[in-house]
Amino acid sequence: MTTRTAENHERIDAAEQDLVLSTLEPDQLAEAKKQRVPRRRLKGRELLILWCLRAYLLFMVAVVIYQVWTGAR
Amino acid sequence: MNLLSKLTVQRQVVITHEDVDRAHDRARVQAARERGSWVSHLRLVWLLVGPGILVMLGENDGPSMLSYAATGAKFGIGFFLPFIVLTFAMAIVVQEMTVRLGAATHRGHAELIFERFGPFWGWFSMIDLGIGNFLTLITEFIAIRAGLGFFGVPAWASVLAALALLYTALMTHRYWTWERITLAVAAFNLVFIPVALLSHPDWHSVGHALASWKPLPGGLNKDMLLIVLADIGATVTPWMLFFQQSATVDKGLTKRDVRFGRFDTILGAALAATAAVATVVATTPLFIHHMSAENYQAAEFAQALKPLIGRLGASLFALGIVEAGMVACVTISISSAYAFGEVASRPHSLNLPIGQGKAFYSMIFLWAALAASIVLIPGLPLVYVVLVVNVIAVLAMPPALLFLFMLVNDKELMAEMVSPRWANAIATAVVVFLTAAGVLFGISVVAPNLFVALGGK
Repeated sequence: MTTRTAENHERIDAAEQDLVLSTLEPDQLAEAKKQRVPRRRLKGRELLILWCLRAYLLFMVAVVIYQVWTGAR
Repeated sequence: MNLLSKLTVQRQVVITHEDVDRAHDRARVQAARERGSWVSHLRLVWLLVGPGILVMLGENDGPSMLSYAATGAKFGIGFFLPFIVLTFAMAIVVQEMTVRLGAATHRGHAELIFERFGPFWGWFSMIDLGIGNFLTLITEFIAIRAGLGFFGVPAWASVLAALALLYTALMTHRYWTWERITLAVAAFNLVFIPVALLSHPDWHSVGHALASWKPLPGGLNKDMLLIVLADIGATVTPWMLFFQQSATVDKGLTKRDVRFGRFDTILGAALAATAAVATVVATTPLFIHHMSAENYQAAEFAQALKPLIGRLGASLFALGIVEAGMVACVTISISSAYAFGEVASRPHSLNLPIGQGKAFYSMIFLWAALAASIVLIPGLPLVYVVLVVNVIAVLAMPPALLFLFMLVNDKELMAEMVSPRWANAIATAVVVFLTAAGVLFGISVVAPNLFVALGGK
């Protein structure tokens, strides 16, 4: 395993590097979090939930527009 | 090992300033854990609590405290005392899931929605949260202005004081310091307890109400139902999910710390519920004296309470409203900035030096300054803004809950931290209940007479 400090960041000394490596889990490091999490493969029930959510979204937008419109009047 | 741990194996390790700050916090946790005495266990609790207390006391924001005050003034001691406790119990169930998600994945809520469900839902959640948070922020500044107005402080000075607190806490660019400063301010939410004591409550009535859910003056009618739905929506709001998960990640909590995260959440809920119940009790004298307080703002509540609980009690009430607004300003601004950083792939941590977190800090500073300046516009329809905020907050909850529920049951992400069956049963009941409340509230906005047609009074 190789270690380096991030480019354009201030210098981090060896003791602090050791501290980081001994206390943080590998996926806790800021650079590790830049790695994208793969997209989830959705199955039947989850797809259904998301379609229901799309319908709800239309309802929600309509309610908010109605509220803003009636309030403004 | 979950999906994220597998992704990070065998990569070159890059260390940043943010990591070093977090490592110092984690080193103290490790040291306390290794000692094993009861004193070090208490120290461990002290080190690991924070996000849960902040999110719950942050949710006791300006509009919420005014809503509790209005509840006490309109209904007195009765049904709403146990009901408030129940809503906080539901908040615990929901917020506990964010602790587990944060500790297991080390990723924020917006980031996980964006990456697991795609950009459409990611940006939807972000925009939904951004609009809701911005409008809520305006209402927090309204509360601060009204609370300090009781002491004759001009509006511009009130708003500047709130911004100064927000900026001072952030200037430390250290999560731990920010968290402790905000916790110290948030503790002031408990000022509603002495206010309640000054109202000389009938403790027998308080005990009876908590045990029996009675009395309910006026019975079950349309207005009461709307208050119930609005209260449900006001206790569990989308920014809470985003904030607690991101704060759990920023604090560096791991799977080993989840039980402390749970304790933190329960403690926060207990403190917030106590403050909320105290506020209802404090304004009950207005109900007893038949004083109509439906459209009271903070200063008007304090003025109305003055002859009943004295100058000290009224001043504490006004200060409590100011604190509620200030803490919510801080937590809500930060939840927006976390979500923006996560979705836009920009650095997002309170451990970032200003130079490395320009987008993150700018988002907090500019968003708060814009909301504050709107409050200073003369003739702003404040009641209208509050109404729209309530509608958006309640309606935005079902999508946020569904994503939370799907994420916390994502075996690839959660591995052994996936919800057990019994926890899922409770969570499902709460999610269904809150979603139904959101939908009903939406219907009540579009068709207010429908509840009457369905048999309400």
